[in-house]
Amino acid sequence: MPVQEPGRRLMHHVGLKFVEKRVSGGGGRSVNAGLSLTSMIDFLVVTVVFLLMTFSASGETPQAKGVTLPLAENTLDMIDAPIVAVTGSQVIVDGVPAGNTRAIEDAKRLQRVDELFNILKSKRELWKQTHPGKDFPGVVLLQIDQEVQAVVVKSVFQTAAFAGYPNVSFMVNSIPKTQH
Amino acid sequence: MGGVSVDSGGKGGRRSLDSEINMIPMIDLLMVTISFLLITAVWTHMSRINADAQVPGPPRPTEEVQKIEPEKQLHIEMRAPDKFTLIWKQSGTVISTVDVARKNPETPVRQGQVDTYRYPDLAAKIESEWKTVGQHNQSSDKKFDQAILHTDNETPYGKLIGVIDAIYQAKRPFATGSKQELVPAFNVTFSVN
Repeated sequence: MPVQEPGRRLMHHVGLKFVEKRVSGGGGRSVNAGLSLTSMIDFLVVTVVFLLMTFSASGETPQAKGVTLPLAENTLDMIDAPIVAVTGSQVIVDGVPAGNTRAIEDAKRLQRVDELFNILKSKRELWKQTHPGKDFPGVVLLQIDQEVQAVVVKSVFQTAAFAGYPNVSFMVNSIPKTQH
Repeated sequence: MGGVSVDSGGKGGRRSLDSEINMIPMIDLLMVTISFLLITAVWTHMSRINADAQVPGPPRPTEEVQKIEPEKQLHIEMRAPDKFTLIWKQSGTVISTVDVARKNPETPVRQGQVDTYRYPDLAAKIESEWKTVGQHNQSSDKKFDQAILHTDNETPYGKLIGVIDAIYQAKRPFATGSKQELVPAFNVTFSVN
């Protein structure tokens, strides 16, 4: 089939009068609306610029499944440190299971989480081997669900401190500061 | 086909400085860029709240031990359902005690998908207490005042963060190198009792 010049192709001999009417604009308002190209491009460019400015190439700290973080106003920026997640009764260190807190919940008193202690201690030793001569920062991030009981929070906090991580930070979702 | 061209030259046998931009690929590119950025956008901003476990460092027998004057510490008691109690203590001696009313029962504020506990009255009282009793308020001072949180074992973590957030509302200047910034006035730790 030969290539034909573009143009109208509506065949008049086909009995679709209502289509012909619509297309030609006769007999009512056209279904097509005009769009200002300049405004549209302005809008797209502004959107692209806004999204590029808010884009973060470094990504975001992973959040463990089932953890709802509390909100807080007076927060600090995130830092690179081992993440201890407590979801339900499961303890996870950097994605690896590190014990259970059910015994603490049942006993309702502070206890050391041995598996967590051993994992954090080995991480500390590894850091010291890979950074000889440097002071260990001792920072750990706790990612805890907001319904978890204080006895579990304090047990994990104390376990981390005894494993050589005295600077404990609680991960939260930040909210804008209210005016006082 | 749509195109953009500003006719400003090309006369006198010279090549025009302007060239046409093809509108359709340009709009396609913008659309694809917007889609990519929207898909990869992170709408929640995570951050952290600091706490200090107050663990003493390893023993250093070679260093001379200096006798340090015990400092004032703010104990925040949140075990009572209807009030917070702020107690300033110095080496076990109570200096002052203030009660701050607490709603009973507490109703959380729904923010997005999260129930949040906020204590603005407590935050204001802690700030005013620190201004009168706090010891470390100079920007050159590297030490911070200590706040110790007393809570019962059943308190949900969301309420603990609400109280720690209220403690951190009190801010002081802190010199880091040549610049000065506002940082929380307290270091927070938990009471093990």
